[in-house]
Amino acid sequence: MVSENRYPAQVVEEMSKESLEHLSSLMDGELSSEAGLFLTRRLFSDDEMCETWERYHLIRDCIRQPGSKQMVTGLSTKLRASLAAEEVPTVSAWRNNRWLKPVSGLAIAASVALVAIVVSAPQPGHSPGDSETALTTPANQPFVSPNTLARSPASQAVSYSPAQQANSNRLNAYLLRHNQMARTAGRQGFVSFVPIVATPTTAVAENPESKPESNESGSALETAENK
Amino acid sequence: MKVLPCKALLLLVSISINGIAMAGDAGQARDWLERMTAAMSQMSYQGTFVYVRDDAVETMRITHVTDDTGVRERLYSVSGPHREVIRDRNGVRCVLQDSASVVEDQVVASSYFPELPLSIIDGDTSGYRLETGGEARIAGHTARRVTISPEDNFRYGYDFWLEEQTGLLLKWVLFDTDHKPLAKLMFTDFAIGSAVNMRELESDSRAEDFVEMKTFSIQKTVVTRSSPRWQPAKLPPGFQLTSHSHETGTDGVYEHMVYSDGLAAVSVYVEQQGIEAFVKPGMNQLGTNNAYSRQQGNLQITVIGEVPVITVKAIADEIALSVASN
Repeated sequence: MVSENRYPAQVVEEMSKESLEHLSSLMDGELSSEAGLFLTRRLFSDDEMCETWERYHLIRDCIRQPGSKQMVTGLSTKLRASLAAEEVPTVSAWRNNRWLKPVSGLAIAASVALVAIVVSAPQPGHSPGDSETALTTPANQPFVSPNTLARSPASQAVSYSPAQQANSNRLNAYLLRHNQMARTAGRQGFVSFVPIVATPTTAVAENPESKPESNESGSALETAENK
Repeated sequence: MKVLPCKALLLLVSISINGIAMAGDAGQARDWLERMTAAMSQMSYQGTFVYVRDDAVETMRITHVTDDTGVRERLYSVSGPHREVIRDRNGVRCVLQDSASVVEDQVVASSYFPELPLSIIDGDTSGYRLETGGEARIAGHTARRVTISPEDNFRYGYDFWLEEQTGLLLKWVLFDTDHKPLAKLMFTDFAIGSAVNMRELESDSRAEDFVEMKTFSIQKTVVTRSSPRWQPAKLPPGFQLTSHSHETGTDGVYEHMVYSDGLAAVSVYVEQQGIEAFVKPGMNQLGTNNAYSRQQGNLQITVIGEVPVITVKAIADEIALSVASN
């Protein structure tokens, strides 16, 4: 058993509702790679969680494919075998190297977890939130979503050219100021800020709308005035 | 001969009753909108919602808390790249993981122009038609529908599904003049008041992990009651100036005007081109917001708002130096 002071406090805390939700997210392939590694570590050290992990898979497999219950049985043994010879980083090492790529040993552990995820990958038409997720989130309690930002590499998913990024940020800045100044926009509360969180900026064609009134903006206003 | 007057009388009575009912319905809709406006800013709430636009489906989480310290709000994406908007008494901060950048804006002063009352979207010339109707169960709460339909092509329409007891928004649909949905938002879980988990207000994103976006000249702007130097010669029906600010302390040009019809709002930015990056000329989209930008001499004129393309382009094309400023 690995001693507690060799893990981040978050990993060694009691098995909480959040941990169960992380586990469910890992099963659905929705957990970031860094968070997945933390959880894989805990699966190794926490018998209770490992049993829960197996139980979740068993339940899901029984629901989907009766008779496939042996699919993940013994996972805890496989995890232990893969991680047995591996050196565990200290708390300070983790904190100081938050953005570093995983070391090879951890990558192996992650690959074991990945196999489990691939084996039990959600089937088409199945969405997160039913069956197994419902087990971890009682209907009368609000869902608490994990904030994975701090565990995600800063270099991830930078897909804009510098010009596109500058254009996008400029428009975001315009919209932030617009939403502050336009008090009528405030009537809808946070909804005015949803486009900033939701969708990257894309340039569109010069005349994307072809309605009669949109042929010429000037004439459209004149038409409106004459009505 | 006696039948016709009876029919006419019945028709007249029918029209009158219908007219009264419609007027009452519009008034009821306005009351619901006023409740929504108050609830969205003054109550504490939290929930997960699904946002659908075009073919994209995204999940987001909102936490809005109002207490002695003022309003604090955090909106962030649960699916896809992490993006979040944090609002508090210091201003607005937008963290965009996919571009590794942060865009910030300070708190801005209130406008000197009077706030447009909701009553102006309830008239014959408002460009909107209000009605209520429909009941649904959303995220475990009973919701009532308020529909605001556009009566021309210069604005969008909205379906607001509001929580029966509080008026909080549970479902939102944006649609065009043909009632074709452009975007939808619906809560899947929703908590009010003491059930709100305050810890979710705190972002663990660190400024040093991102490139901070300097938000151009708006840091030095002041809100004014004066008329804009640059303004549109014509405006779409129902729109009027509701805010004006400009830059001080430099020789450059910066003006920001907001025009509203009481519900939709459009911002006009007139800026002198410098070394800073500017918006690409032509049409741009930011979610359901349209932006149109064009150059005039050494100035860039950008119009942005959650209105149809025709509206931002019409206003941008009409912008000119006002006679009084010549």
